[in-house]
Amino acid sequence: MRLLPLFFCCFFTSTIWAQETVKGRVLSGDTVLVNVSVQVKGSARATQTDQNGQFSIQAPGDAVLIFTSVGFASQEIAVKGRRSLDVHLLVSGKEMNEVIVVGYGTQKRSDVTGSVASVPKNRLTELPVTNILQAVEGAVAGVTVTNTSSVPGATPTVLIRGQNSITANSGPYIVVDGIPLSKSGGSINDINPNDIASMEILKDASAVAIYGTNGANGVILITTKRGTTGKPVIRYNGYTGTENLAHVLKPRGAASYVQKYADYLKQTGQTQTSPVPNANELVNYNSGKTTDWIKEATQQGIMQDHNLSISGGTKDVHYFISGEYMKEKGPIRGYQYHRASVRSNLDINVTDFLTVGTSAFFANNNYDGGRANLLLATAMSPYGQEFNADGSYMIYPMYPELLYVNPLLGLNTARVDHNTNLNGNGYAEVKFGGVLKGLKYRLNAGYTFLPAAMYSYSGRNANTPLGTANTKNSETNSYTLENLITYTRDIDKHHIDFTGLYSAQQRKLFVDAYSATGFVNDVLSYYNTGAGATISAASAGTNLPNGSYSEKYNLNSQMGRINYSYDSRYLLTVTARRDGSSVFGANTSKYGLFPSVAAGWNISNETFMKDVHFVENLKLRGSYGKSGNEAIDVYKTITTDTSVRIPFNGVSTVGILTSNLGNPNLHWESTVGANIGIDFAILHSRITGTIDAYSNDTKGLLLKRNLPGVSGYANVLDNLGETKNKGIEVTLNTRNVEGKDFRWESMINFSANKNKIVDLYGDKKSDVGNKWFIGSPINVIYDYKLQGVWQTGEDASKQDPGAKPGDLKFADVTKDGKITADDRVIVGQTTPKWIGGFTNTFHYRNLHLSVFIQTVQGVTKNNPDLNYVDESGRRNTPAEIGYWTADDKSNSRPALSYFNTRGYGYASNASFTRLKDITLSYNLSQKMLEKAHLGSVTVYASGRNLYTWTKWIGWDPENNYQGRGIGDWANNYPTIRGVVFGLNISLR
Amino acid sequence: MKKLYIILGVVGMLAASCKKSYLAEKPYSSYTPATLTDSLGFEASIYGLYNHLSTFFTYSDHQGWPCVWQVGTDIAFATQPEGWEVPYYNYNTLISTDGAALYTWQWAYKMINNTNTIIVNIESPTLTGMGQANKNATDAEAKFFRAYAYEMLATLFGGVPIVTQPTVLARTNYTRAPMDSVNNLIVSDLVYAAANLPDIEAVKSNAKGKMYGRANKYMAMQLLAQTYLRMGKGDLAEQQTSAIIGSGQFSLTTSRYGIKVITQPGDPFSDMFIYGNQRRIQGNKEAIWVLEQENPATVTGGNTNSAQQRRVWGAGYYNITGMAICDSLGGRGISRLRLSDWVLYRLYDAGDMRNSSYNIRRKYWYNDPAKTATFGKPVPYTGADTVYKICPNTTKWYQYDPNDQFGFAMIKDFILMRLGETYLLQAEAQLQQGKTGDAAASINALRTRANAPLVSSGQMTLDLILDERARELVGEENRRMTLMRTGRLVDRAITLNSGTVLNPLNGLSSKNLLLPIPQAEIDLNKDVKLAQNPLY
Repeated sequence: MRLLPLFFCCFFTSTIWAQETVKGRVLSGDTVLVNVSVQVKGSARATQTDQNGQFSIQAPGDAVLIFTSVGFASQEIAVKGRRSLDVHLLVSGKEMNEVIVVGYGTQKRSDVTGSVASVPKNRLTELPVTNILQAVEGAVAGVTVTNTSSVPGATPTVLIRGQNSITANSGPYIVVDGIPLSKSGGSINDINPNDIASMEILKDASAVAIYGTNGANGVILITTKRGTTGKPVIRYNGYTGTENLAHVLKPRGAASYVQKYADYLKQTGQTQTSPVPNANELVNYNSGKTTDWIKEATQQGIMQDHNLSISGGTKDVHYFISGEYMKEKGPIRGYQYHRASVRSNLDINVTDFLTVGTSAFFANNNYDGGRANLLLATAMSPYGQEFNADGSYMIYPMYPELLYVNPLLGLNTARVDHNTNLNGNGYAEVKFGGVLKGLKYRLNAGYTFLPAAMYSYSGRNANTPLGTANTKNSETNSYTLENLITYTRDIDKHHIDFTGLYSAQQRKLFVDAYSATGFVNDVLSYYNTGAGATISAASAGTNLPNGSYSEKYNLNSQMGRINYSYDSRYLLTVTARRDGSSVFGANTSKYGLFPSVAAGWNISNETFMKDVHFVENLKLRGSYGKSGNEAIDVYKTITTDTSVRIPFNGVSTVGILTSNLGNPNLHWESTVGANIGIDFAILHSRITGTIDAYSNDTKGLLLKRNLPGVSGYANVLDNLGETKNKGIEVTLNTRNVEGKDFRWESMINFSANKNKIVDLYGDKKSDVGNKWFIGSPINVIYDYKLQGVWQTGEDASKQDPGAKPGDLKFADVTKDGKITADDRVIVGQTTPKWIGGFTNTFHYRNLHLSVFIQTVQGVTKNNPDLNYVDESGRRNTPAEIGYWTADDKSNSRPALSYFNTRGYGYASNASFTRLKDITLSYNLSQKMLEKAHLGSVTVYASGRNLYTWTKWIGWDPENNYQGRGIGDWANNYPTIRGVVFGLNISLR
Repeated sequence: MKKLYIILGVVGMLAASCKKSYLAEKPYSSYTPATLTDSLGFEASIYGLYNHLSTFFTYSDHQGWPCVWQVGTDIAFATQPEGWEVPYYNYNTLISTDGAALYTWQWAYKMINNTNTIIVNIESPTLTGMGQANKNATDAEAKFFRAYAYEMLATLFGGVPIVTQPTVLARTNYTRAPMDSVNNLIVSDLVYAAANLPDIEAVKSNAKGKMYGRANKYMAMQLLAQTYLRMGKGDLAEQQTSAIIGSGQFSLTTSRYGIKVITQPGDPFSDMFIYGNQRRIQGNKEAIWVLEQENPATVTGGNTNSAQQRRVWGAGYYNITGMAICDSLGGRGISRLRLSDWVLYRLYDAGDMRNSSYNIRRKYWYNDPAKTATFGKPVPYTGADTVYKICPNTTKWYQYDPNDQFGFAMIKDFILMRLGETYLLQAEAQLQQGKTGDAAASINALRTRANAPLVSSGQMTLDLILDERARELVGEENRRMTLMRTGRLVDRAITLNSGTVLNPLNGLSSKNLLLPIPQAEIDLNKDVKLAQNPLY
């Protein structure tokens, strides 16, 4: 058993007889391997590779070197007089021996009893992503990452093993270096992807149970890089490249736009008096001048990232220090995101029993800048006037049409949106000796300070004649304090370890937001709100009161875990966590207990398997446990009022109205889950993989249940109902070709999840008002069933009396001769039925090519790009999206006169398969590195979102878009295609 | 190892400091009902009702909202429908998922819940620290608003669930009460309110004077008269109206007044609808109840949503080259509806002030001085222009803010009750009792003011009174509610407003004298089936 990391037992030796120095580098694929043990065969002399995968050892010319590393087949190589070597190690299939992070500790892969996925290492480098979750998309079975927006700096949503909760938060709990990032106010954007050493995802109930009320949606554990003993390694990683629109939903050209207007007038029974609707358009129409508004609203996007890190250490002090500057200038004008971050990870052995260290970082995220409006650009008439005579933007390009303002007005606004995460985490670890040998105590303390600022000013040139300034500042302070006791003991073939935790967490928020309006002119911008005629409290955030707001959240926890194994064959894990959270109702104890048990059987370690040569590894796992979801907002258990205003005689007067109906009985949701899994490696580890099947039952759902309006409230939070998620996950790694120069590896993951509502209010009745149906997934589209379009001469009176030719034709499901609310049916689900990822990596000597394809299937979404409500006659529409006319008799698109009074959502199939990324990289050979006196050099080109196969008509099936005036419609943003060129270089 | 024990000791102390109070919750930034049970708390809760009231008139998520109450009746038709009003002229599409019906329902019950909170707490025998008179006045103001909401529900939906307790726990077992019970509650609330609300000159004051915008007893009496009329109790209704008229506190506007007397031609009737003239404090002695709005650019919280009445009623003249948005034309309208031909061409007698060019604009002159070729000339009245660009329109919602040409929000007061309507209610009450002579006299009070020919007792019918209501209150009253209350919606809409070229009336039948109970309400009230209104 190679239990201890090898570097602990490595040492340098000096020699008394003359030897040659042999230098070299150890790689696996295009990844350099750190801490590989290099030993001269037949001698005690040994060393290990450094951060660049490099080694240097004294050996005679006829010596044989032995390379060993956890998870790789050991290899013997004859020096044959060479001075420099490139050594490629092959994965051993005993990758089961790698050490992974499992939460409050680490474990050998072979000892893990739960379902814990490691994000493939090649997803952590050489990809132009601004946060690590973007790189995880499609790469891990059971993890659904959705980029709902491509706005620079937007973070994706993540669902692990389907959605358990209906209204409570469904995102996983993210922990970085042992300290929760979730609920600290921080964001995944605060973590520099280059700093990440490994990322594990805890999926089954036993693995997540140790996170108690925060575990039910899965847990993501991120571990950042740390220094190791050895020479300092100075490394630069950087890339730069372009960003462009991956797909353009092109607006109509001039002729088509003019025709549409004529058709609109005809269909609405109006007489045409002008070829274009508005006076301003007529000017350009008469002069034949058109404007390509998409071109005007876009720019060449540029993305770049620069990282510099220094790592190394002496026997007692290890350090990793890094700095990053990343900048993304999006292809829509005004959109940008840049980040500067610094990290300092230290480990210091103060005495032989005490180790202290830090994992501190600083990150500044900046999303500043006034932005162009894509939706307005698509709505503009090709004949609209962009500029005034003086070159400034014309406010109403289609004057006297005032609804659609110039899409570029946002560029005339001042807009500040940035935040800083100052995160100081430290630990102290004490090892006990004597009779207490094996006992360790660790104190983790983390503090996060997160100030954020949002300021804006909109003045005369941005269609705000009085000038309006907004300022909003917020400050979040969080701490985490953990006391951890661990004890490890081996007695004969019995191994036991214990972990105990007592911890407390707190988050405090203070926000204040003000709006001032009525400025003499626009020169002060947002720098002096006092100069405005009126200052008023502005929204502190969604669902928060105006003005200032403060809240506090507390969590208090105890946890215990016992791992037992016998002869590395039989494994058992038992855990229990008890959490108390401030968000639960005053009538409850506020505490919940979450136990779990898991067992594993390493079949391949049995003696009867000794002769089964085609199986390198075979392990069966099973687990059962309970975890929770406390994810309700603070104060939701309390009935609160809101303050409002009403003027009397011009005096603003404060009033009070009911706001939130509290429920003092609210407690956590609990998910009971069972998981069985198998890990295997066969055919000389040419095929390795993992298969898991699970079933999760979530009860006591925190449900924001709509109430009859008669109650005077719209809804109330309640513990109700039950959901079930069942699924299967398969991950396969294959080495298809293994030549000396050419190798080809594939990685396939597939996961399917079946989500259904078992019960809502204890009576097994569906809730049509909320669109929740027993036996159906939580998020469904419940709408009329489209049959086509009413054609001229068709008789609508027996199906939809009042429908005109050109109106959408809906199925009369109830056969009562009219279309009523009862004719709505479940059209589809908005979460995918299955997802998959397929990576192929080709190596030819030092050249590597990786191709990653992602697929998301069985999703239905409402398509706002098809829905123009009552505006299709007033604005431009996409060329691809037609409309019914009496002549063309479209059977899918309504007439321009159709106003969609039923609120039909145009549900469409949003499944897609995407060529997500391709990376081509080249590592300089050891020989060339020697000449250049460099540690390692990799050059690469990488492209993202290169091609998408989909039936969706619109900008993109994955991103969410909104119709004009709805939600965040001003930030509708195209999916981007990025191509970057990168360089990773390290000095020796 | 000594150091170690010191560390452990410190940690132990940290751990022990986690007491039970660590998990207690106290909302820092919100009031809770428990913090509002003193006189200031009740006062603020009463102000909240006015805020909520205004959201009925200013709702702007759907621009078709104000049209819902006007199109598909006798007085107007939709020209550029937004969507919400479509089922209200194409009645075949008026189904239980209707948006406007749901909004109305939810709005009314939110009002009721807020009033119930006040009423139950103020009537609690354990409440101390407030004098009885103060308690009664607060109770009366809340009861007035409760009755206002129930009156609206009863008119639109019929017998609805009665709730008189504040909601503290979720409920899904409401039942529709008989119409009589709803009526009894409204009457009892209003009788109490009329007895305990202050006289108009006895309302409370703030720094700028008397708050005439707050409830007075005449508001309760006028609403009570309307309720009695709906119940067919003309005699009781007349007691209320004659008390209002006889109080001497209000008078019909018969001479010009206010801020535009010198600068702008007009007549007494049009002066009442100029922002700056609408309130009693500004000289409008006809006003009984005015809901005030202020420009939020100068008064924080001056309005709630962005009221759409100006845009809905005003003509879209700005669409015509040579026309510029201006004050005297009432700012920017988009004419989502147009007055019916009946109103425009058949309703008024010659010389009726309410049909003067100051009250219904029928002609436009080019006003953009930059376009010299047309400036000052009349705009020709042809084609589609007559439907929504320069269609004749009421000036009652004219409003212009030079800093907001686009004018999404209309900043203008809402005159919710005025003495003119009191005479109309009185005429209706008298007619119900067969007192046609008195009824004619009530009508003639208005016709005298309007310089219109007088009517005689022999002419008195409900339809004549409804005609007169249109003359007097067009654009101002909720026409749909009036016609639903009097049961005349179907006949009058079909007779007077059928066959428009655009968006014609379709499918209107007697079932539409009530709106459908919102489907969401039926679905959510899962323990008891809320009966749907007939034929929906």
